Amino acid sequence: MSAPAAALEDVSLELGLFSLRNIGLTLDQGEIWAILGPNGAGKSVTLETIAGFHRPHTGRIFIAGRDVTKLAPERRGVGLVFQNYGLFPHLTVAANVAFGLGSRGMDLAEALSRFGIAHLAERRPQDLSPGEKQRTALARALIREPGLFLFDEPFAALDARTRDSLREELGAFLRETGIPAIFVTHDHTDATVLADRVAIIKSGAIVQAGPVADVFQAPADSFVADFLGIENRLPARVVGRSGPYLRVAIGERLLQVQGGTTAAPAGDIFLCIRGEDIALSRSEAAISEANAEGAPINRLSMRVVRIIALGALCKVLLDGAFPLTACLTRRAARELGLVPGADAVVEIAPDSIHMLAVP
Amino acid sequence: MGEAMDAVKDDREATIRPQPEHSLRPHLAPPAAGVLLLSWFLGSLLLAFIVVPLLGLAISQSGGSLLHVAALPDVRQAILLSIEAALLATAVAALLGVPLAYALARASFRGQGLVAAVVDMPLAVPHTVAGIALLFVFGRNGVFGAPAAWLGLRFWGTVAGIVIAMLFVSAPYTVSAARIGFEAVDPRLEKVARTLGMGPWRVLWHVTLPLAWRSIATGLTLTSARAISEFGAVVILVYYPMTAPVKIYELFLRFGMHEAAGMATLLLAVSLVLLILFRHFAHGQERVSGYGR
Repeated sequence: MSAPAAALEDVSLELGLFSLRNIGLTLDQGEIWAILGPNGAGKSVTLETIAGFHRPHTGRIFIAGRDVTKLAPERRGVGLVFQNYGLFPHLTVAANVAFGLGSRGMDLAEALSRFGIAHLAERRPQDLSPGEKQRTALARALIREPGLFLFDEPFAALDARTRDSLREELGAFLRETGIPAIFVTHDHTDATVLADRVAIIKSGAIVQAGPVADVFQAPADSFVADFLGIENRLPARVVGRSGPYLRVAIGERLLQVQGGTTAAPAGDIFLCIRGEDIALSRSEAAISEANAEGAPINRLSMRVVRIIALGALCKVLLDGAFPLTACLTRRAARELGLVPGADAVVEIAPDSIHMLAVP
Repeated sequence: MGEAMDAVKDDREATIRPQPEHSLRPHLAPPAAGVLLLSWFLGSLLLAFIVVPLLGLAISQSGGSLLHVAALPDVRQAILLSIEAALLATAVAALLGVPLAYALARASFRGQGLVAAVVDMPLAVPHTVAGIALLFVFGRNGVFGAPAAWLGLRFWGTVAGIVIAMLFVSAPYTVSAARIGFEAVDPRLEKVARTLGMGPWRVLWHVTLPLAWRSIATGLTLTSARAISEFGAVVILVYYPMTAPVKIYELFLRFGMHEAAGMATLLLAVSLVLLILFRHFAHGQERVSGYGR
């Protein structure tokens, strides 16, 4: 395996109220990492440490194969993009992009036209749309051919629709250039849409890291599950085992849960169920066919309490033996005729339920 | 069916319109007419109080008598001396005050509030008191005046003394305005500039100073205006050579109001022209300041 494109090795530092403890990350070429965490967890400090604004007390930082731990920010070869994009308000778009050019031989006009901002060259940043700002900021950073891109909450100040489109644009840009990137965010949607891997950070330490799908499917603890926006976290108790499945009780109600083979938990646990893993129908008959293979499926009768529309999706709040929240497309909800007060049959596959130890 | 869902219109297809940043700022709510009317009425009393005496002074003078006053060599000398000393004081305030403002804006340390209060102290000290205090330090037997004189730099009876007196009373304007300017510069812009390959000094020169320039220039304008009008501290530290305000005072004592009013009008005109030039120089250079404006 080739050397990583960038890496943090066991980085720790103290900075006033903030501290980082043993942060380790490894980026392959073209890989995008999201550092996800609540405000004050140390996300921005991590990014600024990589950029060179804080000297770690221990550990080392590598960018493009070089040990940059002791280098000043201007010698590290990172492209830094902040919320609101950090364009220089006293300079035109062209001057912003040319800012870092120095004696490099790259063609400014070519860079501007590549990003579709040539016609804005003489404008000031305050007269640009968010999309134009993002393109200017990316052009300005890219012209220095950075070994690593760093983004600090790039979409935090944008409205939802603009955020969606700029996120897609940024993703396309990063995949096209193949430059590895780390971005910090407190929005788990940013991570699912953009990142290959995600690190969840809490109080200056990484609590879980790995491929996005893995982390979202199997959060390591209750904090991560909560932070990733997993809709259902239910206190439960393991009561027995049948073959590969555990029998778990939520109150009176028994559920079959994929037990795994090693070290199955016992006693009190939490169950995590993602809203989109819950299937809904109006009658028992509709589903029984789908269950032909004989694998056990958890089937519950519930009542619709409320429906919350979220753009193309909606959340269906259900109640029965215990409260549950399901996510559907709005079209599916309409076709099922789900309205408050309606009865619904809920199906949850045993492998869609993730178990967490009680902290 | 699905009322809750239908209530939210499908807005995915809507085009994304560019949103200029300034449209995000809250608009000023129009105040009630009565409040505005009373504010204007009280405010115009103050405006009249400022304009009427100056205007009265100006129209009391005929063009002929102004030319006569302007032709007097000692009047011309005094006014030129005032301009020269004020510009020197402003230059020293810029050289020493702008770095202090930067330090106060960027560093955070214990006793920062105390330092800021010390900077503003000359504004609260009566100017004659300032003059006497300066005499203790820069006078013939002063702790700084005596050794400096030994090296050939005297503060009594010299332009250097006038500059010192002017600087003392006018420097706070530069420090506080520049500090506000530096504080308005987003440190993230400086960080971005660093990652774009600039060392800290070049960032200061190419990012921080241009963005804070408008506030710095306002401070320097106020400092120069305050310096040229200073009387109390100057008259105690340096009576001769006479600056314009001192000369006006002397004319007033020796020949009365009429003689003094001619030169006063002349100084007023010179000060206004300088103020306008300064403002033009300061604000014509740079239209934007701060981040996100």
